[in-house]
Amino acid sequence: MKILLVEDEPGLRAVILEALRTSGYTVELAKTYAQAHEKIKLYQYDCVVVDLTLPDGNGLDLVSTLKTDASAAGVLIISARGALDDRLTGLELGADDYLVKPFHLSELNARLKAIIRRRQFQGQQQLVFRDLVAWPDDSRVFVHGQPLTLTKKEYDLLLYLLANPNRVLTKEAIAEHLWGDDADASDSFDYVYTHLKNLRKKLQEHGAGDYIQTIYGLGYRLRAE
Amino acid sequence: MKLLAQTNRYYVLLAGVLFAVGGGVLYLSLNWALRNEVDEQLLGQQEALTSTRASAPASPPKADSLRVSRTPQPGGLHEAAYYDEAEQTMVPYRELSFPVVRGDTRYWVTLRKSQLETEDLLLVVLSVMLAVLAGLLLSLMALNRWLARRLWAPFQRTLAALRAYGLHGREALALPATAIDEFTELNQALTQMSARLAADYQRLKDFTENAAHETQTPLAIMQAQLEQLMQDDALRPKSAALVGELYGATRRLSRLHQALTLLSNIENEQFAQAVPVRLDQVVADKVRQLHERATARSLTFDVAVTGVPALTLHPGLADSLVSNLLQNAVKHGLPGGIIQVTLGPDALVVANAGLEVTGDPARFFERFRKHNAASDSPGLGLSIVQQICRYYGFALSYEFSPAGSRHTLRVGFSPTQDLA
Repeated sequence: MKILLVEDEPGLRAVILEALRTSGYTVELAKTYAQAHEKIKLYQYDCVVVDLTLPDGNGLDLVSTLKTDASAAGVLIISARGALDDRLTGLELGADDYLVKPFHLSELNARLKAIIRRRQFQGQQQLVFRDLVAWPDDSRVFVHGQPLTLTKKEYDLLLYLLANPNRVLTKEAIAEHLWGDDADASDSFDYVYTHLKNLRKKLQEHGAGDYIQTIYGLGYRLRAE
Repeated sequence: MKLLAQTNRYYVLLAGVLFAVGGGVLYLSLNWALRNEVDEQLLGQQEALTSTRASAPASPPKADSLRVSRTPQPGGLHEAAYYDEAEQTMVPYRELSFPVVRGDTRYWVTLRKSQLETEDLLLVVLSVMLAVLAGLLLSLMALNRWLARRLWAPFQRTLAALRAYGLHGREALALPATAIDEFTELNQALTQMSARLAADYQRLKDFTENAAHETQTPLAIMQAQLEQLMQDDALRPKSAALVGELYGATRRLSRLHQALTLLSNIENEQFAQAVPVRLDQVVADKVRQLHERATARSLTFDVAVTGVPALTLHPGLADSLVSNLLQNAVKHGLPGGIIQVTLGPDALVVANAGLEVTGDPARFFERFRKHNAASDSPGLGLSIVQQICRYYGFALSYEFSPAGSRHTLRVGFSPTQDLA
């Protein structure tokens, strides 16, 4: 999977780069609008992660360029401009998704995966993780071929973990992934805990291994082995 | 009390005192002058009587009556009153008695002159005077009133302009010069002041906006790097916990930041894009999203839709408005209670049972106002609600009824007075 990361802020660029590479993507970098423009004209990417405020241009123009060229690349906008209008404009121009800075790297990862899955497999891609098989678009999970019945939140939680194998997911990231802006409550971590407990129980009842590891003080991690 | 009424009161007071004193002085002096006149006439007649006694009286008698008696009378001028048969009233007289010696007989002559006419005259003069004075006073007041209305008109205009003035208009007042120097100066001073205010406000807003934007990038870097640091297996559990705390803190900071940015964006009116919004759907969505949290706090939603208002809003703001109202109710609702959400054609009402809160209700809408100071939430929810209401001209009101200790927040969609 080849990703183009367009970001002018060095500190952020480095850390996103590292996170994406760890997740197994091939990442190319563009620091300016001009560089990014050149690269999207020359090469083919699976997804372009683009910052809107660039020193020499507006990231939104890159999005429209990609769309005009009928590029197969998915577009994920990351922007410090949280204004709702920017978000709408971005999506109207044909971006697949929009993340407001600051964001969780695990969220970026999950959104990227979803974009690529949608674009390249028309959603018909199963996720396999050890003895688990999940079909993200029709909400089905199988453990050892046995269907597993999960609530909506448990399912979302499992998919989020599956999108970030071997990554520590913070309580905050999970809460915000599950509840969006409504996660702004001191009690949302309790729900994360409850849902995780239930999910673990259901997985174990169906004979799945105990993959979900609790990391003290930080969050949870799906262990690959 | 109005300035005009106030000045008029002093005018009337002063005029009253002056008129009373003037009237008194006028009365006394007229009285004195008239009596003097009568006395002079009487004395003149006495002289005539005493000196021309030998001959026949040359001049017609001035006095009303002339009595001659042998009994001695108290001499000199004095007052007397006699009953008048014709008029059937006591009539005041001025009397002058003096002795006249004729031969060796001593007669006492008493000249008497009625003062009735004198009093009538006095009355006429006084009433004419008073009528003129009263007329003068009344016309002065009328003139004053008319002048006040005319001369104070620029002041009234200035006042109206000031009343309508809000920083949200972002413009300085433009008050015209008037024919009256004082008001022109006032207008100039106010115009300058409002220009300064508008400039300060703009600076503050720019600052907030820039500060918001500039803090976001470092925050994003911090958060991302902390998250990356967590992935490090070499992290010792003790440090891991610290990193976790730090991460949580950056999240809180960025949430706070988002809320403030939203507030400043609304203030800067960056939400022009409006579409027709079905508020009943927004409410249903939000209730569904909050269902889990409400259930965990043993709260139940009771949603009643009696009508759907026809509103044109920015979808994000409509979302934020409903979401913040409901979150507030979930956050502060007493466990076991019911959150009543009523959406009608002209208002959205959210009511929940909660602890009684002391203090001015208007302060609940203040930024960073928290019921529980230790709470993680920045306390901006209701500020955002208020700001959105202000932006769209909705009437936001808060009510607490001790019966069942219910807190009620009402958003009236028809633009009326903002109570909050």
